[in-house]
Amino acid sequence: MNDRAQDQILLEVDAISLSFGGVHALTDVSFDIRKGEVRSIIGPNGAGKSSMLNVINGFYHPQQGTITYQGQKRSQMKPHEAARGGIARTFQNIALFRGMSTLDNIMTGRNTQMSKGLFWQALRIGPALREEIENREFVEHVIDFLEIQAIRKTPVGKLPYGLQKRVELGRALAAEPTLLLLDEPMAGMNLEEKEDMSRFILETNEEFGTTIALIEHDMSVVMDISDRVVVLDYGRKIADGTPEEVRANQSVIDAYLGVSHD
Amino acid sequence: MAFDLFLLEVVISGLMTGVMYALVALGFVLIFKASGIFNFAQGVLALFAALALYDFLSEDGWFFSLFGFTLPVWLAIPATAAIMIFLAWIIERSVLRFLVKQDQIILFMATIGLAFVLEGLGDLLFGSDVKPLNIGIPQGASDWALDTFNLYIEKLEIVAAATAAVLVIILAIFFQKTRIGRALRAVADDHQAALSVGVSLDKIWVIVWSVSGIVALVAGIMWGSKSGVQFSLSLIALKALPVLILGGFTSVPGAIVGGLIIGVGEKVAEVYLGPYVGGALENWFAYMLALAFLLFRPQGLFGERIIERV
Amino acid sequence: MSDSTESLMGTFPQLLKVRLQRDGDRPAMREKAYGIWQTWTLNEFCNEATALAAGLSDLGFQRGETLVIIGDNRPRLYGAMLAVQSLGGIPVPAYQDSVAEEIQYVVEHAEARFIVAENQEQVDKSLEIKEHCPRVEKIIYCDPKGLRKYDPNVVVDIQEVMKRGRNALAKTPDLVDQEIAAGRLSDPAIILYTSGTTGRPKGVVLTHENLVVTAKNANAFDNITADEETLAYLPMAWVGDNAFSFAMGLVAGFCVNCPESSSTVAQNLREIGPTYYFAPPRVFESVLTSVMIRMKDAGPFKQRLFNYFMAVAKRTGVDLMDGKSVPLMDRIKYALGEVLIFGPLKNTLGLGRVRVAYTAGEAIGPEIFDFYRSIGINLKQLYGQTEATVFITMQPDGLVRSESVGTPPPGVELRIEDNGEVLYRSPGVFLEYFKNAEATSETKTDDNWVRTGDAGYIDGEGHLRIIDRAKDVGKLTDSSMFAPKFLENKLKFFPEIKEVVTFGDGRDFVTAFVNIDLDAVGNWAERNNVSYASYQELAAHPQVYQLIQECIEQVNQSLASDAHLSASQIKRFLILHKELDPDDGELTRTRKVRRRIINERYGDLIEALFDGRTRCFVSTEVVFEDGRRGKIEADLEIRDATVHQTTSKAA
Ligand SMILES: Nc1ncnc2c1ncn2[C@@H]1O[C@H](COP(=O)(O)OP(=O)(O)OP(=O)(O)O)[C@@H](O)[C@H]1O
Ligand SMILES: [Mg+2]
Repeated sequence: MNDRAQDQILLEVDAISLSFGGVHALTDVSFDIRKGEVRSIIGPNGAGKSSMLNVINGFYHPQQGTITYQGQKRSQMKPHEAARGGIARTFQNIALFRGMSTLDNIMTGRNTQMSKGLFWQALRIGPALREEIENREFVEHVIDFLEIQAIRKTPVGKLPYGLQKRVELGRALAAEPTLLLLDEPMAGMNLEEKEDMSRFILETNEEFGTTIALIEHDMSVVMDISDRVVVLDYGRKIADGTPEEVRANQSVIDAYLGVSHD
Repeated sequence: MAFDLFLLEVVISGLMTGVMYALVALGFVLIFKASGIFNFAQGVLALFAALALYDFLSEDGWFFSLFGFTLPVWLAIPATAAIMIFLAWIIERSVLRFLVKQDQIILFMATIGLAFVLEGLGDLLFGSDVKPLNIGIPQGASDWALDTFNLYIEKLEIVAAATAAVLVIILAIFFQKTRIGRALRAVADDHQAALSVGVSLDKIWVIVWSVSGIVALVAGIMWGSKSGVQFSLSLIALKALPVLILGGFTSVPGAIVGGLIIGVGEKVAEVYLGPYVGGALENWFAYMLALAFLLFRPQGLFGERIIERV
Repeated sequence: MSDSTESLMGTFPQLLKVRLQRDGDRPAMREKAYGIWQTWTLNEFCNEATALAAGLSDLGFQRGETLVIIGDNRPRLYGAMLAVQSLGGIPVPAYQDSVAEEIQYVVEHAEARFIVAENQEQVDKSLEIKEHCPRVEKIIYCDPKGLRKYDPNVVVDIQEVMKRGRNALAKTPDLVDQEIAAGRLSDPAIILYTSGTTGRPKGVVLTHENLVVTAKNANAFDNITADEETLAYLPMAWVGDNAFSFAMGLVAGFCVNCPESSSTVAQNLREIGPTYYFAPPRVFESVLTSVMIRMKDAGPFKQRLFNYFMAVAKRTGVDLMDGKSVPLMDRIKYALGEVLIFGPLKNTLGLGRVRVAYTAGEAIGPEIFDFYRSIGINLKQLYGQTEATVFITMQPDGLVRSESVGTPPPGVELRIEDNGEVLYRSPGVFLEYFKNAEATSETKTDDNWVRTGDAGYIDGEGHLRIIDRAKDVGKLTDSSMFAPKFLENKLKFFPEIKEVVTFGDGRDFVTAFVNIDLDAVGNWAERNNVSYASYQELAAHPQVYQLIQECIEQVNQSLASDAHLSASQIKRFLILHKELDPDDGELTRTRKVRRRIINERYGDLIEALFDGRTRCFVSTEVVFEDGRRGKIEADLEIRDATVHQTTSKAA
């Protein structure tokens, strides 16, 4: 992690509450994410972790609270604003474009980096062609980085699960994100795949200085690679701090051991 | 020998009709892939485009009465394209945007409504008489085909086929190899994921409808040049349905191959079987073929799954 | 062109200096990176190597010193090889898939101070090695990914070294040229560590002369020219890659293509379409298996088409390739098959343009071998080893057999010892085993003959046949060769036979113990209404004896046609009452026969095989699955099998 940038806050969510009808997915949750850090969000199933990411990238609009991203305060994000602002993400249940190849999937990640108009594109000449080639080059670096050259042209629907997750990460990385949201990137992977994924996440963070918000259930991974951890339970924040602090926190231990709430 | 040539002529003329069907079906497929909407108004779009084009070109149109001159063909076509894009934008703004989260059947109904509105609007603006559309495509038989192969082929038909081929190639490249093309396919595959990479659904829908509008324009020009601009043009949309059943609702190549098969099939059937069943076979052959397909291969020649989306 | 190549003689760097004048702009290496094939012309390749050499020299690299190279096939790594040779040093490529401990032995034994490592994975291994080998000073890497935070005093970017080299060259332009000029043909060019099934790996030292002369001969043998395309995908540490990709490539001047990664080899093969191709038998085998699996998934029409034309190919393909006469109708069918099946198949395998393909390393199954030849791929076998700079025998075009390995190419002499061991002498004979004079003198005679350790003989056609490891080969009393494993493998080819032990060393004739395969024979029994209650009962059944006897007589028939093996026909056999079992110590865990134990346990049975008894009682102690001990007793029948007269004369 870059020490100089240590204290700059990239994103702050303040007093966020989100409910679906009677279900309170998030209640008065506040925390911040600093530039360049790996920030994990943990908590039992249904704690509201994914909902939090959805609020950050604009899929869900909270009833209360504010989101301050890169100094700009708003009451809700819009998905394309988030994307243009450098927020990229992966999904808990892989959301790839199944009919497209690995290469095309990752190319869609360049969407926000490409701007040439419909007219040029329709004919695929001049500036649009140049832009296409430049971006393809970038995508090839992502493919190299994730070591997925062999599946470049394979339709992603045909790939095994672990590789699909990798392609999804690739699509997010192609956007050159400032903030990368990863929703359980290692769920359902075997040990070797997990190790690879951790390596890619850490390298992304170290080499490109990308800030990462990570939801993960594997505690050893979380403790290993996060700078700070925030813990949610039943939609509320119950702890926030370094991995060591969080591990020692009594309410975290209770939440994970399933002590009853009343 | 003479008999064979005759069959060849029938097949070729069927192919030309097929190209027209294919173009309309293509418009359907584009919109259906990107938004899951079965656009009943596709045929009317072709009619509307042809009417607008005629208006720019003739002295009894609105444009002439407003500005006192008509547009040359090379300007009238882009102007009509602009109108189709504008129309797409209006449709997105006034209809789609409010119905995004609704059931598919509701969206389908909405397009039926749209078809009536556009048809009425066309009638109101341009009148319902048959209008000869002449954009300078040479008429009559091709001397070259007549001399070399002793075949009677209309020049118009050759131009239509060539134009359609070029259009399809451009569309294929556009879809496979450009950002917007990928975005279109992305939206068709997974809305959420598309949003997360910054694709804006509103824009994509405007683009799809614009592209469909332009495909409709091409279909309208060809049909209009052949038989004049008239309301029966919107009826070719009804022929597009069996084409889609044949080709699969989500397949671009399917739309093309399906269109050609139906075009040729109905002409050949009319000529060779028509006399035995009392004629007019051309009108219902396509539906019979589609019915057979529904029974034996419901996903069409190239389609994936149609059931879920319709 | 070939004239001037002919006259060229010198170390690799010297040779390239001459070739540069003429072929500087020709592509020398290609590598797929970031989705695109990137080309190094010979000029670029040599310039990089020169810069690297100067940089290494600046870092203190000395003439005669070793440098270990670890990584997949990369132009930069081949460049490093050339750079080291330019300075009169010795490159030592190590197997990139080996774990750190294995490579550590190589680094330690070769006394390397420098390691060139492809990427982070190999750098990590090298650092682990350095902890145990303090002699290692610098680890030079090619791919900087993930290496940003490593200690720059130890772990250095190859680009940095080249930059250093260019600076040094700016001051002393002929820095490297001088070193190149000082090289001699007899200098060591490379050390290749052979895995060695027993004991520690041995470092085979090959000289420039070994490599250059061998490469020229091999190029001449198959008309290899500058127009070939090859894919370098087998480990750089293996002598074959060094010969095919580096030596033959640089001598003939063809372009060597490096795959994007080890997982993209199949795709890259298709993109490149090599004309000269090498693969070990297991690669050919697994490709064939995957073709068959894919055909099983194909539609019925396609399957029928495939089966039909494969049958045509089987009948006529090999003959066509060997230039034999084939009826016109078959020719037409084959041509049709080429258009519909063989051509497309070869293209999807990436073998559509192959002019010459080789397999070596171990015996290839005859069906596999014939499959490739029948669809029109000129697949040939060669027999070789590291110590010979690969080539000992090769199959000339038109004289390709699946059971023999060809004739010695020009310059190679063969000799068969009394015990059947194959010896050779050639320009490729290695200098020595590095720092292992004892092993060198055991393997290489004073007059430069090398023991292969393999037993074989020259067959009627003058082709070498390898039959066994020499140490396993014995002799019958008439002093003809007895190769037990060869016989046993031939018999085990029948599905009904699970294990065989043959006896014959020091005896008058050959006999065998047979274990039936319960599945296969059980199946057969069901179909033929033979009822049985136990393995023992089935094994003793007269009809089963008949079945096995037929197998044995079939083998005898084929042995009879070969003068060297005719005496090894199996005269008497018995079917054992129990399965040979690792739990009883009769087999190793990897199911190899333990002859000593068998001799001890079944001594009386063996004697019975030779003394003419027709039955023999046996009682064996066994360990049951639940660990209990017990005895199995049986009265075994011993049968005679028909043996044939020799049908061909000795060569
Ligand atoms: N779109 C939605 N509609 C209705 N309820 C929702 C929706 N999204 C989330 N919820 C509810 O909000 C709560 C929090 O869900 P969320 O998916 O955020 O949990 P999570 O911490 O990510 O759990 P998990 O570890 O299982 O992924 C749950 O009760 C869930 O059912
Ligand atoms: Mg979740």
